[in-house]
Amino acid sequence: MTRAFLALLRRDLILSVRIGGGFELVLIFFLMIVALVPFAVGPDPNLLSRIAPAILWIAALLATLLGLDRLFQADAEDGSLDMLRMARLPLELAALAKMAAHWLASGLLLALAAPALGLLLSLEPAAMLPLSLTLLVGTPALTAIGAIGAALTARMRRGGLLSSILVLPLMLPTLIFGVSATQAALGGGVPFRTPLLMLGAISLIAIVLGAWASAAALRMDD
Amino acid sequence: MSRRQRRLALIGSALAVLAAAAALVLTALRDSIVFFHPPTEIVEKAIAPGSRLRVGGLVKEGSLVRGEGRSVRFVVTDTKTDLPVSYAGILPDLFREGQGVVAEGVLQADHSFRADSVLAKHDEKYMPREVADALKKQGLWQHNGADAAPSTQ
Amino acid sequence: MTTMFARLANPTVFLVLTRRLLPALAGLTALLFAAGLYLSFAASPADYQQGDTVRIMYVHVPAAWLSMLIYTLIAISALGTLVWRHPLADVAAKTAAPLGACFTLLCLLTGSIWGRPMWGAWWVWDGRLTSVFVLFLIYLGLIALQRTIEDPGQAARAAAIMAIVGFINIPIIKFSVDWWNTLHQPASVFRLGGPSVDPTMLWPLMVMAAAFLFLFVTLHLASMRNELLRRRIRTIALLNSRTQPA
Repeated sequence: MTRAFLALLRRDLILSVRIGGGFELVLIFFLMIVALVPFAVGPDPNLLSRIAPAILWIAALLATLLGLDRLFQADAEDGSLDMLRMARLPLELAALAKMAAHWLASGLLLALAAPALGLLLSLEPAAMLPLSLTLLVGTPALTAIGAIGAALTARMRRGGLLSSILVLPLMLPTLIFGVSATQAALGGGVPFRTPLLMLGAISLIAIVLGAWASAAALRMDD
Repeated sequence: MSRRQRRLALIGSALAVLAAAAALVLTALRDSIVFFHPPTEIVEKAIAPGSRLRVGGLVKEGSLVRGEGRSVRFVVTDTKTDLPVSYAGILPDLFREGQGVVAEGVLQADHSFRADSVLAKHDEKYMPREVADALKKQGLWQHNGADAAPSTQ
Repeated sequence: MTTMFARLANPTVFLVLTRRLLPALAGLTALLFAAGLYLSFAASPADYQQGDTVRIMYVHVPAAWLSMLIYTLIAISALGTLVWRHPLADVAAKTAAPLGACFTLLCLLTGSIWGRPMWGAWWVWDGRLTSVFVLFLIYLGLIALQRTIEDPGQAARAAAIMAIVGFINIPIIKFSVDWWNTLHQPASVFRLGGPSVDPTMLWPLMVMAAAFLFLFVTLHLASMRNELLRRRIRTIALLNSRTQPA
């Protein structure tokens, strides 16, 4: 069972690194959104540094969504989804493996890239490590919640938009606690630990819920 | 492992993860996550001047002073600590002394608070004016200050 | 007991029963609204703090209760769809979603109108308001999902999964005012130690809540009837197109 899980994880990771897989696209998209904001709100460093955590979180959210609509769709198209459904590995674990692969190729990279992009937004140096930490703890929730939408719309031709409509409201708590944790690290009434713990709890709940719901959604037509 | 055992193992590990999440939430809830902070918390946590935040509490009786134009000064209290607040703008209907209020603004260096928006908070009690007057007359009136400015655990 | 439920849940029995029941329900709703509106706008007193503005409560609070009640109903129906695969469960969930969205919107709008004079703001992002707003978005997502998938069976299961995932928001709405310092006041009616609303105002509120509840039940049953008939027509059309090739 572990071997099947790891094999699936490896396959998805290789797919995302090879041509057309799109993990570098996610990073470039992240960079683009971050670069757009100073033009949209004006280059005032004080303002930018105040809203930098929010911008980076929204960029991470959109970048995560970007790769998600193909999470199960490609497998549904080429028939490998049907093989996964017949395999000995429970479909919940297969969904978990695919979520893990997606997170490694998006959330993890975004968390590592965030401090560098924070420089562009004159993020205070003291906030960089906390920001990375919140992204590291919070992005699994984004991937898991997004996977639910991806699974529900896997067999639709244009499921991307519907999937975003379904999952964005559910991602709101992650965004709230992610941004408030980063802001707490910069001072303020709440200790940094509190929102970070909430973020961790949200991620754990989302992983369980995401694995169950996406497996149920993939089994929908039998 | 048989199919049945696999299923049980899966459900078991899912429940374990959810229990871990619940433990995290309970740990986090010990510090409350809030829309506003009571004055005592601002003093105790030594929040740096210049930070933007919301202060919530009761408007202290007899502290409201109207200045020129629409500027006002009043004191927000949670019955333990007082915080002077200055504000210029329109006050909501429910704003009055003894009532709950939430002010958003910037903490000043002299430990006063400059608000740029003031919201009135009302409690969960609803009653006709006559009943409220009668209660006051009989001395049964309890103004529940703890509701408007909850203490943090 | 179970056999009675099974009989009631048979679509044909359901159609016959609701046809007889609906006029009575509609009449009862009208009566309750007449009584409720009179009680809340003419016979009830003004609040000691809020004056006449408090009358918005008689619309706002029942709408808010219904918005959560309807979602709970949808989540229970979703279990019915996924576990027992009962045909009526999906019909109930599908027709309840637009009604739920309407009551949630009504709650948000009246709350906004109430908040402006009392708090001094149309809208604030505190825990209660945000979680109800998320509920509204989840309703919209559910409706979109139900409308987008063509196959009714698949649409039913997809919406059911989504409804159960979204149910996590309901306890958050209910307890948001206790967990966090919100601008919204804590619960007044369903709370430990009994309601903190004076009886002269609690009664009109309860009558209005009953009126809203019966309005929902009437609209929901009528809407379920329409959906069942629509599905029958669809099935008949499918059968016809198979037996008579053009």
